[in-house]
Amino acid sequence: MSITLDQVTKQYQGNPVVNDVSLAVAEGEFFVLLGPSGSGKSTLLRAIAGLTEVDHGRITLFGRDVTQVSAREREVGFVFQNYALFRHMTVGENIEFALRVRREKAAERVRRRKELLELIGLADMDDRLPIQLSGGQQQRVAVARALAHKPKVLLLDEPFGALDAKIREELRRTIRSVQRELGITTILVTHDQEEAFALGDRLGVMNLGRLLEAGRPTDLYSRPATRFVATFLGAANLLLRREARLGPEAAGQSRREQEVVAMLRPEEAELAPDRDALTTGFLGYGHVEEMQFTGALERLRVRMGTEAAERHADASATAMSPVWIDVTRTQPEQRAFPLAPGQLVAVGTRRIHVLPTPLSSFTVCAESREAAERLMSNHWLTDLAARMQTRLSAQVEPQLASEIPAPGPAPAGVAVVAAGPDCPAKVRRLLGRGVTPILCLPEDAEPPGRVVVHFAGQVARRATLAMTASLLRHVPAEAVFLGILPSGSPERTRTAGVRQLLDVRSEAQAGHGLDVRTELRLGDRIEELLRELGSQPGQMLVLGLPEAGSLPENFEALLTQSPGWPVLLA
Amino acid sequence: MSAFRQPSVLPGFGLTLGFATFFLSAIVLLPLAALVLKTASMSWADFVAVVSSPRALASYRLSFGASLVAALINTVFGFIVAWTLVRYEFPGRKVLDAMIDMPFALPTAVSGIALTAVFAQNGWIGQYLEPWGIKVAYTWLGVTLALTLIGLPFVVRSVQPSLLEVQRDLEDAAETLGATPIYIFRRIIFPTVLPALASGFTLAFARAVGEYGSVIFIAGNLPMKTEITPLLIVIKLEEFDYNGAAALGFVMLAMSFLMLLSINLVQAWGRRHIVAARR
Repeated sequence: MSITLDQVTKQYQGNPVVNDVSLAVAEGEFFVLLGPSGSGKSTLLRAIAGLTEVDHGRITLFGRDVTQVSAREREVGFVFQNYALFRHMTVGENIEFALRVRREKAAERVRRRKELLELIGLADMDDRLPIQLSGGQQQRVAVARALAHKPKVLLLDEPFGALDAKIREELRRTIRSVQRELGITTILVTHDQEEAFALGDRLGVMNLGRLLEAGRPTDLYSRPATRFVATFLGAANLLLRREARLGPEAAGQSRREQEVVAMLRPEEAELAPDRDALTTGFLGYGHVEEMQFTGALERLRVRMGTEAAERHADASATAMSPVWIDVTRTQPEQRAFPLAPGQLVAVGTRRIHVLPTPLSSFTVCAESREAAERLMSNHWLTDLAARMQTRLSAQVEPQLASEIPAPGPAPAGVAVVAAGPDCPAKVRRLLGRGVTPILCLPEDAEPPGRVVVHFAGQVARRATLAMTASLLRHVPAEAVFLGILPSGSPERTRTAGVRQLLDVRSEAQAGHGLDVRTELRLGDRIEELLRELGSQPGQMLVLGLPEAGSLPENFEALLTQSPGWPVLLA
Repeated sequence: MSAFRQPSVLPGFGLTLGFATFFLSAIVLLPLAALVLKTASMSWADFVAVVSSPRALASYRLSFGASLVAALINTVFGFIVAWTLVRYEFPGRKVLDAMIDMPFALPTAVSGIALTAVFAQNGWIGQYLEPWGIKVAYTWLGVTLALTLIGLPFVVRSVQPSLLEVQRDLEDAAETLGATPIYIFRRIIFPTVLPALASGFTLAFARAVGEYGSVIFIAGNLPMKTEITPLLIVIKLEEFDYNGAAALGFVMLAMSFLMLLSINLVQAWGRRHIVAARR
């Protein structure tokens, strides 16, 4: 591996800008870091170059730990969005700057300069000043300058940002061919998914400081694991659907309906006059609401009928809000079945991808409408639901906390209950009905800045881990796996405890691409957790229950504290 | 005239050019012409006698010498002050920034008297310099100090905008290419700021040459020793020797003009030379 990042974290004023990012880039690979502005991608790139110091973690370039090495000695080439050419120097002088710094012989400098000018196709521009060049030419010079000292790594920070579309395309080709020719390991940062697809051997998608997923462009496009990647890499319809699935711990549990998040790409949807004319799986009927001609493709928005089996994830709390499916159709499809706005159509799906996330939607469970509304107005919860582009609904059950069995339908997705004295009773009732996960939320809870993850059982269950990973992708907070061993436990147990903690970490990393730090404490489990959570405000607990479907008595203290903290149980 | 006309958002090229010419003539050229005319009414021998008297020569040396030293000091320290103001965030930065302009606003006599009070033998600072044999007030050192005070804002205000312009990216780029901080300063920051620094120097120098108010209080005004040319002119005027005063004024005018012109020429030549040498 030529570039290895190990739990790199960078904070600005307490907020993680880059949050526990681990990544390995192979030699000669063209890796593209993709993300919206403010996702931390540029900060991460600057950290690799040594232009920004990191708070935690390790950066290794070709086996050499460079975390504490200055940018000057890292031997990387860096290209800036605004070119950053030295304006008082000619093109040639700009290019040979790195060689002059290294006191190379004049003859060697001239030779290298000629070579690089040739490489970027500006052989006759040697004597020009940067201001005499066009933007595209200036960026070529910047690339040549970054390559002069034969760095092993080339880092490009939004290099096409300031250029217009046509030049962008051309420069993209140049950079790709230069990279291939030199075989240099390259990381490029961009917010443009088209650019990322065109250039990258592999992509990494960042959001809120975390590296969500990394993989080949086609894999990420067709089989994303997260909502964010699904919607960021192209238009996507996110649907909530109920699927009969085996419970997470299959043994001894009945099949039960589970809500899942599914992604339907607009080009994978099929439209037909009625259900029988569809060649693909039927999704539902709808009315064409909006049509847009965009050249090669036609974009349509279909408002689905309420009888549709699926409920759209974008739909807000009220069930009355419209449910849309975005569809794109090619010219042949348009000719085969011309449409007009308002027309009734059957919608089919050629391919639907179910996201592996266990957090599908949120259902607030409360005894009264008022209590439900109070919880639903918690701005962290509404923010979280909005960020996950999912539904936040309410289910009123007057006998939620009582022992009288009054089984209503199981709440979909994550059940949200108010924290407080009767919280444990509610949690038990819900667990008894096979509902997990459950979020216990104090009504005035603030967005957490730190997430403590603790597994009360001997092994971290896969479902809990998946849920933790899914939550952390949508929460801009630092996270830590906290292991607690009884004080006075023998050496052997301790070693086992440490190993278990590290296993959890590597499982999270391998299974979910999530890198989280670990801490080990000695003492009573509940006392330690209370102390940890009480030590500073703005924390949240993710608790893996010792056995599925049961809440031990001593855990009640964690749910009834005031002022409390959000607890997610699984 | 239409050949010079450039399309512009503001109309009235003829009007503005006319106004600019008239304005310059009325308040700058006309008084200078009067000065030259007055000087021309003297005989050549009289003129030479006045302007080359030992007392006059000594005053030129002090005026131009002290101004030059003061402008050089200001160039160095003004750059550092501007750097601090542009590059760092610290409490009181805005206040410090505003204080830079105070020498502009303060009556020069006030700053002269204040400096004298501080640097006199029994002043706050002067009393500690005294044992070391350093006398500031009533020596050429005091003159230089006063001229430094009034020239500082010119350098700071000239350099500030161009320092803001040196993007951090340029320094980052140079660093990734392997340059040390000193190298970056010499080869990237300094060349970018140099033109602004030169014009700041020129302004500070020009201002110092013409300064009168603050210097007369701290200089002590001993003929041949701490007498600046502007003071000599005032003395001539008080003696009703208008011709002599005009002659000295003319010499100052000529010398200042020559010096400013040569600085500008060197700058222009430097710019062209830098570009030309690279071809």
